[in-house]
Parts: sequence; structure tokens; C-alpha cells
Amino acid sequence: MLVSPKSYMYEMIRSELTDIVGDEYVCNCDADAFGHSIDYYWIPEMWHDRGMETPKPDFIVHPATTQEVSKIVKLANHYKIPVIPWGGGSGSQGGALPVYGGIIVDMKRMNKLIKIDKESLTVTCQTGIIAKHLEWRCNKEGFSTMHLPASISCATIGGFLAHRGTGVLSTKYGKIEDMVMSLEVVTPTGEIIRTLPVPRHASGPDLTMLFMGSEGTLGIITEVTLKIHPQPEAREFRAYIFKDFHTAMSAGAELMRSRLQPCAVRLYDETETITHVRKVFGMELDKGAYLVFGFDGRKDIVACQMKYAREIMEDKYKGKDLGSKGGDLWWENKYKFFYPGFMFHLPQAFGTLDTVATFDKIENVYWGMKKVVTENFPQARFIGHFSHWYEWGCMLYARFIFEGEDVPKDPREATALYNKVWNLAIRAAIDNGGVINEHHGVGLKLGHLMKDLYGPAMPVLEGIKKQLDPNNIMNPGKLGFEGA
Amino acid sequence: MHIDQFTDAILNCRFCFMCRHLSGIGNVTFTEADTPRVRASMIYGVTQGTMQLDNEDFIATLYRNDLSGACRRNCVKHFDEIGLTLAARADIVEAGHAPAAVQAIAKELAATAKWTAKGEGDVLYFEDLYTKEAATVAAAFAKIMKKAKVSYITVTGGCIGKGLKTLGYLKEAQDAAKKFAAFVKKTGAKTVVVSNPAAYDALVNDYPAMGVKFPAKVMHTSEYILSLKLKYKKAGDVYYLESDFLRNYNDLPFPHDLLKALGAVNKPFGTNDEESYSCGEGAVVLPKIDATLVEKLAAYIAERADNPKTDKIVTASPYTKLMLKKYTKLNVVTLEELAASLL
Ligand SMILES: Cc1cc2nc3c(=O)[nH]c(=O)nc-3n(C[C@H](O)[C@H](O)[C@H](O)COP(=O)(O)OP(=O)(O)OC[C@H]3O[C@@H](n4cnc5c(N)ncnc54)[C@H](O)[C@@H]3O)c2cc1C
Ligand code: SF4
Repeated sequence: MLVSPKSYMYEMIRSELTDIVGDEYVCNCDADAFGHSIDYYWIPEMWHDRGMETPKPDFIVHPATTQEVSKIVKLANHYKIPVIPWGGGSGSQGGALPVYGGIIVDMKRMNKLIKIDKESLTVTCQTGIIAKHLEWRCNKEGFSTMHLPASISCATIGGFLAHRGTGVLSTKYGKIEDMVMSLEVVTPTGEIIRTLPVPRHASGPDLTMLFMGSEGTLGIITEVTLKIHPQPEAREFRAYIFKDFHTAMSAGAELMRSRLQPCAVRLYDETETITHVRKVFGMELDKGAYLVFGFDGRKDIVACQMKYAREIMEDKYKGKDLGSKGGDLWWENKYKFFYPGFMFHLPQAFGTLDTVATFDKIENVYWGMKKVVTENFPQARFIGHFSHWYEWGCMLYARFIFEGEDVPKDPREATALYNKVWNLAIRAAIDNGGVINEHHGVGLKLGHLMKDLYGPAMPVLEGIKKQLDPNNIMNPGKLGFEGA
Repeated sequence: MHIDQFTDAILNCRFCFMCRHLSGIGNVTFTEADTPRVRASMIYGVTQGTMQLDNEDFIATLYRNDLSGACRRNCVKHFDEIGLTLAARADIVEAGHAPAAVQAIAKELAATAKWTAKGEGDVLYFEDLYTKEAATVAAAFAKIMKKAKVSYITVTGGCIGKGLKTLGYLKEAQDAAKKFAAFVKKTGAKTVVVSNPAAYDALVNDYPAMGVKFPAKVMHTSEYILSLKLKYKKAGDVYYLESDFLRNYNDLPFPHDLLKALGAVNKPFGTNDEESYSCGEGAVVLPKIDATLVEKLAAYIAERADNPKTDKIVTASPYTKLMLKKYTKLNVVTLEELAASLL
């Protein structure tokens, strides 16, 4: 922050903000500032756990309209104050943290559903709506966004757009970027723009995609039109245990190469099958790797696809069939994995080394990461599952975990250890042909690795940032861009 | 400190986002602070010295909590985020940091802890302040009792400890509870029937927890009316709004059983059956703490009605009925009123 909260200048800025959004919606009270100083990133959580102060914003504002957002951004440009969009704060990369102070633009008041278009099957809404609330609204009309991430109940649609998020049905319905028709964005200089109304065209490069994944560094996404789908007549799952993770991966890859259309595929390595799947399901499972997949749509088509998928799993790869019950258990418990008691939690030190690669490389990425983590940190556990599958490859949701005495009490030492694991593991992923992130984004956590990932292409990204945000006010220090 | 009994909730909720979609107040104020995550995180901060127990914002946030129990119910491990807020409130009160407005409410409540009885019988109907204010509820109960030919005692009066306990005044709550238990004992009633779900929760859960022995069996009106096995005309389509205390705190089946017995077709209200649509029933005295919040909660409910002008909305809670009547145009009746209208 450039001015002290004790100065009259601070109050002048506050008055301007209240003039824009109203008194009730500007705050710098301790409780809310505190709430905005910690997101789902392990470092600020650990910092708080160790009784340390976390960086707070100077103001938190809750705009209701795009015009208000635009005015806030213009004001911030005038005073050159950082602006940090905040959705649900559930991002795991520190993307929404006010590390340089500034104005948090909390988007949750912008939660209006504007229109459900039953002819084109789209929904238009403001981006501060919590994904679950939007899904409920669509369900009531007989539709679904089919965007069902584990954080559906806590993250906003804007947060997902900004991180290129994904849900459990990604294999059929895509990640959020595949669901978007068009966006309304307030640019870093406060202009209100709309991208083209349809996602497929040949009218130049795709502006919509420029803002997808921009993590609040290139503007604030205020409105979106998303595709929606009728609720399917049938959705069926089936699960298998394979003797090892390699066989299961081969079976999963073959399922994708067969061009059948599963809505979800998930594979847990041997360790995660034992430590997690078993615990969440509350049932015994044979040793091996658990693989589950499902199909949805018309009943007869689901049955037909399931028949061919079973042939791959059973005849060719000799998976042990857990039946539809073994698959349904996963679907019913898909969010349970993320509740305390089942999810990793401080005092453990843990991180999700989320990586994506083509099928020819994905196993090498897994082994490469596992090797550097376990060789350099023998005290750490390494587990992984493969949660989002595409025609060409899949996403590795690998995790490292330190427990008990292996987690330094000193917050600085803990930070150093944590970052060391990340750096080694992510560089191993990149070296093996992986891309460092599939759906959690970059944020603060991985910003310093963006140059490793992009190489000579990084200045192109930086050039775009400079052009759009000459005063560097939009979420500085994130996505590998310059700090404030 | 009282919060020390809730270490589990502190440690698990402090970094957990999973139930934020059900944070009733958070959904109308849009603030991060009004979520179980941030409340628990701040309370953890109190244990570490990064948040002070006398911090005004911290205190205000805790007293804004609508205590619906929707988050705890949704939680896979049911961590007691409600108990944690109540414990923190008790610590605030005991440390002498209760805001002046809260002190005044507590004083006012304690002063209402007196009752009068009329009528006779083994059954005692307790008409608390909210039930009394929604006068038609007790009248509906009377009509049902007349039809069933059951004579009963009506006890009318104020705080039986629930409001005081909710505000963090444990000693005063216990005093009120003891007084009420003694009063009921004197009446000789064997069964106490209450319309207000808050009173039900007080008698069934708070009293034993406070070590107060209650001399009679306690029933919510829904359970009691069911037990009368009367004949009713068919209710048709209704939208039943769940009570925080009956569902989220006590998981009572009786309101639904009664609706069934009344031939009601219970249509789903709003978009889901997870959120609280009670206007802050769980907080007991939220209108006294911050009436604007209650107004916002009521508007949130009204926005979710299928046909706000025509839908027949039913609640188990006289409180919810009062608040919806006050702040919206919804057509709301209580279970007693619905049953009485179908005799
Ligand atoms: C338990 C749990 C499970 C999770 N599971 C998944 C999962 O299955 N799939 C998945 O994809 N993610 C998952 N995540 C991560 C997280 O939910 C996503 O990253 C989500 O996109 C964050 O959304 P948010 O609204 O909380 O954003 P925030 O954390 O508030 O912000 C994230 C970033 O987006 C920016 N931002 C927010 N809103 C806007 C906007 N309107 N315009 C521009 N920028 C904006 C912020 O500045 C920040 O950089 C999980 C998180 C948790 C806590
Ligand atoms: S009550 Fe459960 S779901 Fe809610 S914050 Fe606490 S641990 Fe998470």
C-alpha cells in the first residue's frame, strides 16, 4: 500500500470506493482482511499455523456490477494501487493473496444468473457466483453445467475461469475453457470488453482464451456464457483393480484411444489405492491400482459403450472387475476425498504436483517426479492419481506428504523445504515432457517456474501483460509476472 | 477457555472450504469472514496471539453467525463449528468483552425468565415469546387439542435459557433453565409440548448438557400432533422449510411424518435441501443482534420461491414464520396452523 491507513489520503481513497459500491461494501475490518489473507495455498496456512502474521489487503470491496468493477480498476490505476480479484479463495496457488496489499475485489456479490437459454443450451451469469449455486440453479431447470470439481461448493465460476479449472466429468464435457462461449472482462485500465459470442470462428486469434487462465493479471472477468447440458438419461460407472499402475495406465490409455466417450476416468496408483480409496470407501480392496470410469447419455448408448469398455478392461488387461458398485462408490464419494479427515491437512506438509502430459510421456513424468521426491526426501511419501483424461493424454495429480517431526516447526525452514520439493519435482516433470499445471494454475507458488516452462515464449506473455496493464496494478507478482 | 474443548473443529475447519456454500450469513453479506473456515481460523489466531479475543471485528463476526448447523450437517465428519462459535462467545462474555448491545440483550432476556400457567392436564404446552408473538400458532394448537378432547396446561413466558446460552451467558442460561424446570415440576405435567424448535433443542439437548434435570417428556408439536392420530382433509401441495433445530441439530423425522399424515405433497423449495431457509432460527435472537441480517436472509428465501405470491409455505418454526411475514410477502403457515386448517 502506498499510503498509510492512518493518513487522510487513505480515507480519501476509501471515500471514493464507497462512492462506487456503497458504504456497506467497502471494508478493511480485521476479520475480513484476515479472511482474505489466507487461501488454500499451504504456505500462508502454515504461516498462520505458526502464529505468524499474513499479509493483509488495504481494502476489500464487493462490487455488484461490471460498471462498478470498471470504476474500481480506474481508481486503482489513478493511485497505482494493486487490485486483486478474489472469488472463493479456494485456489491452491496463492493466486488471490494480497501479497503487496491493495484492493481485494471480492466478486461474490456478483452472483446473478442472467439467463438460461434453453434453445442454444447456454447459461449466462456473473462470475462471482459459487459454482454449486449455479449448478443448483441449472439443475432446477433440468440442466447441468457438467462442471463438477471437488471445490464446487467453495469456488466461484470466475475463479475457475481464471485458473482454467476442471471437474470430474472433464473427459466428456471438457475443462472450463471448453465450456465457455464468451466472456465480459474489465481490462486492467478499466475498459469493459466482450469477447466474440461463439467459441468457434475464424475472426482472428481467440481473445476469450487470452483471459482464460490469466489469474486476474490481465483483467477481471465479470460475466460469462457457458454451455449447459440436459441431465443424462443414464450415468453408469464401473471399477477395476489392476495388478499394477502400469497395466492400469495402459488400459486407461487404450480406453481413450478406442474413442469411446467416457465422461470420467480416474486411476489411483497402488499407494493411493491403499491409503485413500480404501479409507474413503470404507471397504477392503485387493492390492493393485484402482481404475474407475463411467459413461453417460442415452441408456442404450451407455450400455453399448460400457460393453466395449469392459472388453478392454477385462479381456485385454485382465482387470479385476469391482462391478458397477465399485464404480458407484467412487461417484458417490467423489467429494468426500476432500473433506478434513480424508484430505491432507496441516500439520502435514503436502502439495499437489499437478502435471499434464501425453500418454507417451505421462508414466515417465510420474516416475521422474517420484524419483526426485523420494531420493531427495526419503522422509516424504509420494502418491498419485490420474484424474483428467483426454484423447491424447492425462493429468497426474501427484502429491508429496511430510508428517510429524519431518515438518520443520520454524516457518522459514518449512517454506524452504516446501519450495525445494516443488522446484525439484516440477523441473523433473518439465524435463520429462510434462506441463506444470493442468487445472490449479500458477499463482504465487509456481510463478518463478514459468520461465523454465515457457522458455523464449515467456517474453510474449510478458509483452501482453505490459500492453494491457501499463501500471502493473492487476494482481502483481502472480503468474510469473513482475511484482508491485 | 471454552474453545479448548473444540480443538477438533478449530484444527479441521480453519483451512477448510467445503461447506462455504451453506454459510447462511456469508451468502448474504458475501464476506469471507462469515464462513466456518475464517471463524475457526480467527479462533486459532486467538490461541496463537495473532487475533485478540477483544477484537471488535472478531467479536462482531462471531455474533453475526446464524448458527444454522447446515455446514456441520454437510460436513462428512460433522465437525462442530456451531459448538465452536458458542464456546468462543462464552469466552468473550467471561472475559468481559461482550459488546454493550449483547449485554443489553442478555439482560433483557434474563428479565423475561418468568412464566404463568393456566389450564390443567398431564400435557403442558409451552408458549415461548416467539410463539406468543405469532399468536395464531397457539390458537391452532388449541383447536387441535379441542378436537382431540385433550385438556392441557398452557405455560406462557420468556427465556428458558436458550437465548442466553446462545449469546454466551452460560451461568445465566443455567439459572433460567433451573427456574423453568422447577416451574414445570410444580405444574405436575408429564409431557411438555413446544412449537418453537429452539425451545425443543434447549430442553432436549442444552438442559442435560447444563446438568439441569427436566421433569417431563419433551415433544415437538409435530410429534405430539401425530400421536393424536386425528383425521384431516388433504393438504395438497406445500413447500416445507426445514427448521435448523429440528433437522440440522436433532434430525427429527416428525415434521415430515406429520406432513405425510396431512396428505401434503411436499415440493422442494428453492434449489436444494442443504441450505438453511430459516431466517436465522439457529441464532435464536438474531433480530435483536442485527435485524438487517434477518431481513437479508428473508429476502434470500423469498427470491428462491417458485411462485412467491401463491406458494403455500410451511414451517415448523414460529420464528421463521414471523420473520418471513415481517420481511416478505410469502404465504407462510406453521405445521400447527396447517393441521388445524385441515380438521
Ligand atoms: C478442497 C478443494 C478442492 C479443489 N478441487 C479442485 C478441482 O476439482 N478442480 C479445480 O479446477 N480446482 C480445484 N481446487 C482449486 C480451486 O478451487 C480452483 O483453483 C478454483 O478455480 C478457485 O476458484 P476461487 O473462486 O476460489 O478463486 P480464488 O482462489 O479466489 O482466486 C483464484 C485466482 O483467480 C483470480 N480470480 C478470481 N476471480 C476472478 C475473476 N472474476 N476474474 C479474474 N480473476 C479472478 C484470483 O485473482 C486468483 O488469481 C480445489 C480447491 C479446494 C480447496
Ligand atoms: S464444518 Fe466440516 S466442512 Fe465445514 S469447514 Fe468445518 S471441517 Fe470443513
